Amino acid sequence: MLRFLPGLLFILLSSFTFAQGVLVKGRVASATEPNGLPGVNVVVKGTSVGTITDINGEYSLEAPLGSVLAFSFVGYVTQEFTFNGQTAVNITLAEESTELTEVIVTGYSSVQKRDITGVVSSIKGDAVRDQSINGIDQALQGQAPGVQVVQSSGTPGGGVAVRIRGSTSINASNRPLYIIDGVPIQVGALSQRDFGGQDDNALALINPGDVESYQILSDASAKAMYGSRAANGVVIITTKRGKQKKAAITFDVQRGMVDIVKKLDLLNSTQLLELQREAVRNAGKNPDGLGLIPGVTDAVNTNWQDAVLRTGIMQQYQMSASGGDDVTTYYISGSYRDEEGVQLNNRFQRLAGVLNLDRKLSSKLSIGTNLNLSHTVNKRIKGDNFLDGVYSGAVKSLPYYTPYDENGRIVGPSSSLYPGFPNFNPVGQALLPRFDALTTKLLGNVNARYQISNELFLRAQAGIDYNEVLEDQYESTQTAIGGVLESVGGKGYGVYSTTNLGSFIVNATLNYNKAIGDKHHFSGLLGTEMIRQTSRTSSVQGRIFPSDDFTYIGSAGIVDQGSSFKAQNGLFSVFGEVKYDYLDRYLLTAGMRADGSSRFGPGNRFGYFPSVSAGWRISEEGFFKESSVSNVINDLKLRSSFGFTGNERIGNFQFLGTWAASTYNGSAGVSPQKVGNPDLKWEATREVNVGFDLAMLENRIQVTANAYYNKTTDMLYNRPYPTTTGFAGQTDNIAEMRNKGLELGITSVNIDKRLKWTTTVNLSKNMNKILFLADSIPVYTGYQANGVDGTNVLQVGQPIGTFTGLRFLGVDPGTGDAIYDDVNKDGKITNADAVVIGNAQPKLIGGITNKLSYGRFDLSVFFQFSLGNKILNFSKETFVNAGQDIQNNQSVAALRRWQKPGDITDVPRYELGNTFNNLHSSRFLEDGSYLRLKNVSIGYNLPSRVTDRLKMERVRIFAAATNLWTYTKYTGADPEVSTLDGSTTAQGIDFFTLPQVRTLSVGLNATLK
Amino acid sequence: MKKSSAIFFTTLSLALFVSGCKDTLEPKPIDILTDDVVLNEPADVPNVEIGLYSAFRTVAPATVIAGDATADLLINNGTFTQYQELGTKQITSANASVSTLWSALYETIYVANFILERLPNVDGVPTALRNQVMGEAHFVRGYCYFILAYSFGAVPLVTTTSIETNRNIGRTDREEILDFALADYTAALGQMPAKPTSTAFAGEYALQSALARFHLYRENWADAETYATNVINSKQYSLDTLFSYVVTKDFPAESILEGAYTLTDDPGTDGNIGLNNIFVSRRELIPSNPAVVALASDESGDRFSSIRFSADNLKGNDNGWSVAKFGTADQDNNNVMFFRLGEIYLIRAEARAQQNNVTGDNSAQTDINVLRKRAKAPTISAVTKTQMMQIIENERLYELAFEGHRWFDLVRTGRASAVMSAFSTNWQDKYEVWPVPQREIQNNPALVGNQNPGY
Repeated sequence: MLRFLPGLLFILLSSFTFAQGVLVKGRVASATEPNGLPGVNVVVKGTSVGTITDINGEYSLEAPLGSVLAFSFVGYVTQEFTFNGQTAVNITLAEESTELTEVIVTGYSSVQKRDITGVVSSIKGDAVRDQSINGIDQALQGQAPGVQVVQSSGTPGGGVAVRIRGSTSINASNRPLYIIDGVPIQVGALSQRDFGGQDDNALALINPGDVESYQILSDASAKAMYGSRAANGVVIITTKRGKQKKAAITFDVQRGMVDIVKKLDLLNSTQLLELQREAVRNAGKNPDGLGLIPGVTDAVNTNWQDAVLRTGIMQQYQMSASGGDDVTTYYISGSYRDEEGVQLNNRFQRLAGVLNLDRKLSSKLSIGTNLNLSHTVNKRIKGDNFLDGVYSGAVKSLPYYTPYDENGRIVGPSSSLYPGFPNFNPVGQALLPRFDALTTKLLGNVNARYQISNELFLRAQAGIDYNEVLEDQYESTQTAIGGVLESVGGKGYGVYSTTNLGSFIVNATLNYNKAIGDKHHFSGLLGTEMIRQTSRTSSVQGRIFPSDDFTYIGSAGIVDQGSSFKAQNGLFSVFGEVKYDYLDRYLLTAGMRADGSSRFGPGNRFGYFPSVSAGWRISEEGFFKESSVSNVINDLKLRSSFGFTGNERIGNFQFLGTWAASTYNGSAGVSPQKVGNPDLKWEATREVNVGFDLAMLENRIQVTANAYYNKTTDMLYNRPYPTTTGFAGQTDNIAEMRNKGLELGITSVNIDKRLKWTTTVNLSKNMNKILFLADSIPVYTGYQANGVDGTNVLQVGQPIGTFTGLRFLGVDPGTGDAIYDDVNKDGKITNADAVVIGNAQPKLIGGITNKLSYGRFDLSVFFQFSLGNKILNFSKETFVNAGQDIQNNQSVAALRRWQKPGDITDVPRYELGNTFNNLHSSRFLEDGSYLRLKNVSIGYNLPSRVTDRLKMERVRIFAAATNLWTYTKYTGADPEVSTLDGSTTAQGIDFFTLPQVRTLSVGLNATLK
Repeated sequence: MKKSSAIFFTTLSLALFVSGCKDTLEPKPIDILTDDVVLNEPADVPNVEIGLYSAFRTVAPATVIAGDATADLLINNGTFTQYQELGTKQITSANASVSTLWSALYETIYVANFILERLPNVDGVPTALRNQVMGEAHFVRGYCYFILAYSFGAVPLVTTTSIETNRNIGRTDREEILDFALADYTAALGQMPAKPTSTAFAGEYALQSALARFHLYRENWADAETYATNVINSKQYSLDTLFSYVVTKDFPAESILEGAYTLTDDPGTDGNIGLNNIFVSRRELIPSNPAVVALASDESGDRFSSIRFSADNLKGNDNGWSVAKFGTADQDNNNVMFFRLGEIYLIRAEARAQQNNVTGDNSAQTDINVLRKRAKAPTISAVTKTQMMQIIENERLYELAFEGHRWFDLVRTGRASAVMSAFSTNWQDKYEVWPVPQREIQNNPALVGNQNPGY
């Protein structure tokens, strides 16, 4: 009891002295808020007496003489002032210059950056504000080491492949786990109908403008609390919340033009006709007999790329209000984005609204909610691996045909000018169908926090991520499906489908914090969580419509395909974490999550994912502080972590052998669906990480470096079976793979005067290798290709994304035929001669951002690069097809073809019907390295005399551009490309994929006074 | 108050979690049945029977591609590599049509084996139903092995549903496979109804038709004739007055067994088995010029309606002709024939001719003329046996074009080399059987190094 006496006395004393306080007034300001900073906490140190500044930054309270006033505010260095009876105490708070004290949300808890022992990269939402990005996944591009982001195409609202530290899985998803305000959200495509590689993207439903920060959790320690879902990394997204200050109303407006980065160089009618005639002659046939007649066939010369592409308009508007007092804070935002695709009729619109509210009900209990509602209208376009796609159709179509007839009508199947299969009229394919996808997302949670004692609080949360997609489609009689392909449509084809994807999450955590003396700090976390996902889908199709004036299924003559389905899965988990540090010098974290998943059989239902990590802040050691090194190095921390994460994202009920409904001759029955695998278990990744964080030269240079070695075992994959078993395969744990790599992030404040110049560099190198495959047999994946088993292969000793094919040795100058390497020396070129010809994994990727500000001007320049990756230019198998068929336009590369003995070239002889010269080979593989000026923006803050007159607090105008410039040797339209939405086993393939777009925009950010 | 609310919170969440745990982790499978309950009681039998036919019907379109595109009746006209390889006679073991036929056959065999293993142990199934479904399983399995033997030669003989056994299973001689097929057919004799509910289902005479074809291929002429005569004399089937019914309708009067597709399960745009898609929509395969000439001849008569012409299609390599035998689902013409009476007459004609019963009453000549008359084509008069063999070869082309017979006919009669070399300079004798799909060799250790010669 005695040892508490001084404390008690102190409290008594302060209460006593308070009674004798003197009135003190003043104003708190900062460099950016010179007219007053609202919401600043002002307390008489050592007492509970305090207040906060009002909207003008002013405060008043009574304080005893000689007491210490503490001024604190999030993001600012706390300042103390000894009060000696001054009537006015004006304070200017300095913004925190170091990032070390920044609070990082790492899932169920938060931690100061300097105390982190895991690998967490943090991106501020504002850092990507000027980029006209569509979805939150694009914000990660080039901003953090270890994160590879490839946008699949230039389609607005389209797929984006994000990989954190490479791919850990070959079958289960490789997408990171995204958590928004504590709720895991749906990723990938939501819609049902395949658009030939042009998927939609669930992440495009969130407005990046509402995001406060992104935290990317990369190593086992940082991800430990996400256990079975964490192997691919975790992206924690926190939306903006109100602060304790006066209401701030902001407007953001951006508007610009969207163009394709590059068009392909293809042949014109005359060049193509000459080439085709040569191909026909080489096949011993008469080109005139096939109707290839100079002056007639090439009388029309249509540039189909020009015909289907346009300059689109991109515009987005956002208004938000935020603020609060000491009990309630709020953030309310509404935004609208409208982006026209570069393909005719392609458009993406999004309306999004956010309401974030927090309220303290008592000194112990606080509640809050995050509510995010959004709705998108996506006018979609078919593409890639679709004959009736728009861009894919345009680049393949023969220039001999015309999109419009002499009356200006779109040429359709009823016109004699219609090219017919396989060259449909791509302009008609763009303009005539209705492919509307209307998606609504409701993402929200309610949470409560109860402070049980000073050391312990309980937090409980219930959240929902509900997505609903309506696909409203009609393909008219003048389109391929609706008019030409009778086996599907015939006379109009309508589809109407709905998809409901809901996930419900409820969790509770106990958080404990305890300091023993000044030296020992403990914190702990214990939690439990339940997640349920349910999906319901339905679809109905109708055919044979009276005319194109009737486009809904109620008018269809035949309604023959209808379906509905429900699927569900669940996860039940318990997790905990303990952190300890001694004098901020020795840091230790241990965590564990146990997950039970409905996706595994009774024997393997639970998975356990432990991790440990340790940090040593050398810069806190006495010897370090005494040495002269400490003059240069301000902070140095060594880190190391080890742990397990998992992956459970496979289909439901894979462990059961099942039969599904089938029909025959109008009767219903059952057919085998899949063979069961009761031994199916979790995919586990063992992760080791070592690294250091360094701050030097008065924190002006900050370096973070990591090395990791991750080994995934029991990888889930569809193990191929010979069909003599009755099945093509079975989901099984069949492989082992490792990713090892290095990551480096450097932030340097180069100049910090009136001119401020900051450079951020991040570099990542990931090396992936398959260590083991059951049965030791290669598994072929990707696309089917001429004469080989697949474009890609999974093979021991090779990384995933490995390309396979024949080795192309050149063109025989004597015969003009392709020469392939007869690897097995059997005198024949067969699929057995296929070898590994390269892989899609880059040797190094990175981003460099330079930010400059001078007075009222700011400039940001962001370069991104990829080095050493190969791209399979699969389109070339059509564009430079050596005459295999004469139904597709050819690239200008075909002009280099072999024509007569003695020609030295890399393009084989053209001969109609010859598949040998067009076998799948290294002829189609190219270096995909590139350096791209991804984003550049320049801004100007209007001077206060202007803003004052406008009754504005602040007005910034800016101009921004994306994909302005690219250096690459890749001959396709765009090296930043990936059809199949970057599918794990078939990444880096260009298959008539729409290139990226270039956006030029101007905008305005304004804050109301 | 505050302590109690904390307790309330904790208790509530705990209660929620514990009760939710079981529901969350063990949701009931939706709209699927597990292996152990799919065939347990009498009511399950018709469902699994449907499953057998649902698998079996895909054999029919896959056989059409094999029988006609490998031979000289179809040429490629589209973008699919598999048809380019078939059309230009550059077939590889990676060909998707090859693996489609193989897997259709073995997936059907799996269901047949499943029934044959489990049905005898299901109590309470009426004898007639049990015999019928057992008979159907034997018949279907026998037919699959028959097609396997003539498409691929020696193949794995799969007789169980054991995944472990069937993952690593070598090839069995073709003779043994055919003996096994005959044993299956024999086991089915008398088990199935003489008159099934529809010719979408096999009955006694579908089985006897299969036996007639089996003995024709095996050159057991007398047996072939006997079974063919049984089918013809059953009077269950009659030749439609118009040949065009065969082209444009499902279930013509002469149908003995067909793979049935309805609006809801039509293969639609399937690039491997959607015959309307392949022949009419995409026109990946179109009739070859020799096929057009033959079908347009006087001897072919009405059977010219098996193909049709559109000038709009005439360009480049495209001769403008399309296969007419496979319509869309709504045209009621999307079934694919396994057996029809026309073929049975041709089997008997050939069996009779081989037994030197060439002309006169009840001879090869009478059988051929039955078909000629129906096709409104000139009847044949007295000819020699050699001439008759050529007539039968042609007649089979006219009558059965695009029904998957041509390649098998040319190979079994030893005519493939002569006919095919004249058709394509790329033809090699190795094409008398298809390659074992590369995928099978890669995934079945017992097949490694055991490809058909030349591939």
